[in-house]
Amino acid sequence: MHIVVLAKVVPDYEVPSADFELVGNRAHPRYTRMIGLYDENAVELGVQLKEKHAAELTIVSYGQSEDVQFLRKALAMGADKLVLVEGNADDPFVIAANLKEAIAKLGEVDLILAGRQSSDMDRGVVPGLLAGMLDFPFIPQACAAESLADGWKVSQLTDTGKRVMKVCGAGLLSITSIPENVPRIPAVKAIFGAKKKPVEKLAEIGAKKMTVAEISVKIPKMESVCELIPAEDMEEAARVLLKRLKEERYL
Amino acid sequence: MGRVPYWNINQGVLIDLLSIPALAIFAYGLFCHWQRIRQGKARVSLGLTLTAMKIGPIYICSFLMKGIVGTRIYKKLFTGIAHGLLLWGMVILGIGTCLVILNVLFGLPVFSGEFNRWFMGCALDAAGVAALAGVLFHLIRRLFPPERLTCFRANSGFILIETVIIAIIVTGFLVEGLRIAQNGPDPGSFAGNWLAPLLTSAGSLSSLHRYLWWVHGLMVLSLIAYLPYSPLVHLVLAPINAGLDLPVPGPKMGVINFEAFEGEGDEVPALGISKVSDMSWKNLLDISTCLRCGRCHEVCPAAQTGKSLSPKNIMITLGDYFQENKPGDDTLLDAVSIDTIYSCTTCAACMEACPVSINQPNAILGMRQHLLMERSEIPDIMGQAHRSLEARHHPFVGTGFGPNDWRKGLDVPIFEQGKTEYLLWIGCSVAYEERTQNIGRAMVNILKAAGVSFGILEENRCTGDPAKQMGNEFLFSEIAGENIEEFKSLGVTSIITLCPHCYNSFTSHYPLLGGTFTVIPHAVFLRNLITAGTIRLKNNGESVCYHDPCYLGRHNNILSDPRDVVSSVGQLVEMKRHGSESFCCGAGGGNYWTEEAGTRINQTRAKEALETGAATIATACPFCMLMLTDGLKKFTEDQMVKDIAELVYSQMET
Repeated sequence: MHIVVLAKVVPDYEVPSADFELVGNRAHPRYTRMIGLYDENAVELGVQLKEKHAAELTIVSYGQSEDVQFLRKALAMGADKLVLVEGNADDPFVIAANLKEAIAKLGEVDLILAGRQSSDMDRGVVPGLLAGMLDFPFIPQACAAESLADGWKVSQLTDTGKRVMKVCGAGLLSITSIPENVPRIPAVKAIFGAKKKPVEKLAEIGAKKMTVAEISVKIPKMESVCELIPAEDMEEAARVLLKRLKEERYL
Repeated sequence: MGRVPYWNINQGVLIDLLSIPALAIFAYGLFCHWQRIRQGKARVSLGLTLTAMKIGPIYICSFLMKGIVGTRIYKKLFTGIAHGLLLWGMVILGIGTCLVILNVLFGLPVFSGEFNRWFMGCALDAAGVAALAGVLFHLIRRLFPPERLTCFRANSGFILIETVIIAIIVTGFLVEGLRIAQNGPDPGSFAGNWLAPLLTSAGSLSSLHRYLWWVHGLMVLSLIAYLPYSPLVHLVLAPINAGLDLPVPGPKMGVINFEAFEGEGDEVPALGISKVSDMSWKNLLDISTCLRCGRCHEVCPAAQTGKSLSPKNIMITLGDYFQENKPGDDTLLDAVSIDTIYSCTTCAACMEACPVSINQPNAILGMRQHLLMERSEIPDIMGQAHRSLEARHHPFVGTGFGPNDWRKGLDVPIFEQGKTEYLLWIGCSVAYEERTQNIGRAMVNILKAAGVSFGILEENRCTGDPAKQMGNEFLFSEIAGENIEEFKSLGVTSIITLCPHCYNSFTSHYPLLGGTFTVIPHAVFLRNLITAGTIRLKNNGESVCYHDPCYLGRHNNILSDPRDVVSSVGQLVEMKRHGSESFCCGAGGGNYWTEEAGTRINQTRAKEALETGAATIATACPFCMLMLTDGLKKFTEDQMVKDIAELVYSQMET
């Protein structure tokens, strides 16, 4: 059994909004880089499946050469090897086409897991596009998977509940977070072991771009407007508060 | 006529002969202890050159003060006095008995003249009375015990021992009284002389005397033989444990050198403690020495606020695994429980209270190291902070601030190689919380006003200390290594810290990783500025109570400097628990990031501070400030907690 997890290295996704700064419509390079939030959930699920089924687990990423140091965390968590396609495109078509190329080189793959969306672009379209290119069934918002004789039993988390589905043969799932897939903290032995695991770097292939152009990127300005209500007389203060909340149509 | 030893006794020398097997059993018992303790691993080196006087591995001062005199035991005055009476009473009686033996064997003239009157008579009787009073106190307290003695498990072995000691002393006095009743008064033997007339009605004095003499002697020999197999072994182990204890405060964790495992084919050994065989010989000696007196339980912030952790219970559990000879049994951590292991705030109050020099946090942190570095187990919230520290190099997960927000609108010099004298180390706790940012700002303003040559790093970071306290030595050594490299490349030699955790990390752990710098906590730096007259302060006479941060006080013995600072701006008042007996704010050991069970430690401490009636609560640690500020919210809406730097800045004369 061969499981592939897609992981992307992104700028710190928890930079406080007041400190967030753009350079050329992207996060300032000064922010710490790390594996995306949901990608780590996908890696965790992948490691759990690997442990359960003695599967082979490969991390496939599209990004820059320096990303390897951060992707090693996925190897320390339990993946067996890392394939990085070196490129810096943001275009989902280009990324998906490159990932497809890298996955094709791996031979037969039984399951592909991805984070439900990257933590920088937050689009969540690459997994779907890739599934289309590979002609794989695609289940977004998945949270758990179990191996069946002829495929996978997959749980999908919806806004209102959970749907369980059966996928025949190989499939691509984009993973959302649940308490069961909180990424593990790699043990020190595993961190040392990860330094010796194979890393393969592939050159980017040219691919057709999506016919969508980015016009502008804006960060909403955080503004706090504070109004103090005198509280000498609590009853009066409560009355004023209620009146103001109604005036501002919060109530 | 002088006293005749072994008077009325046939074959009295038998007692002397029987003492040989008794001492042999005694020695064998100690040998067994030694054999089992020496199986422990070597202690982690602290890389310190200690100047304290030592003979072999024994530190003399600690051995004499903590081990022989037993200074710690007198912290509970009545118990201490009773223990002192019993111990020193028995020691004097033991010396008396040895003198009698020397008299019998070599004719040492102890039964004549003034020495007979004042030592063999008076002093020995007094020692007997003292020891009897002491042991009665102990027995009565065993029968009506305080909670600390009984919680988890009482040390039941003591009741038998105390009963036997009482029997030995009572029979001793009876033998003396019966002899005097037949031979006439002894000079100086006030107790025997008083007892003698009361015994004259006791039928056959001679045979009773003979009978009790043998009972007394045989009981003494039995007690000596039994000693190493009973809790009384602390008579030997406690002084040894005190002498072997390195004379530096804190849990003495050292660091693990991970670079040694970087090479090809080098295996990382098992990290931390998961079973008895992972422990150092000092841990094993600690376990063997513990008497379950529960003084640690009484001062432990976790135990006192309803957490599952009690240092006493940890020692009991470890003791069970050690006694039952289960060196390789790794159910140990589950027996102690993960929550328990992570509840420790590493405040070291237990170490401070322990009369037999046990280092409880060392074992607890050892178990933590195993949980996190081998099993990846950590409570959720602490785990999130840990992940943040790993990815962002600061543990303040979800902070609303960037690393430089604290100095917005304030002109702060950046450290320049060759130009700046002091590095003002900001650290994480000052940068990422709104309330503590003001500490950094106040300190910058003070240093500027004082004309000190200082600068900060362009991007401030964490020392890595939270990772270490959570048990991840590896992450700590990575972060510390990066910091040391940066300090060296910038030519940093002197560092001013705002947080005692940073200070402790720089002074106790960085040198082991190759980074030795002059580090001055802001409490000391401020005091020096004040003493030198570089800054002048108005004293408004308002009452200020000072909360000792554990890592400044107990861990580094910096107690007077912050108090001097407080006294120069206001009227210092003390909480009931202060100085080296201070009560933790609850944040230490990574527990700033935790969901507390039971009562909250910071509320307990905040209430204590509030009860002093002081107008301001001062502290010298950003974590303490955050915890006390939060704890206080339960009782008052006033913002009463101030860092000493804020106090100084607000009282500066311009």
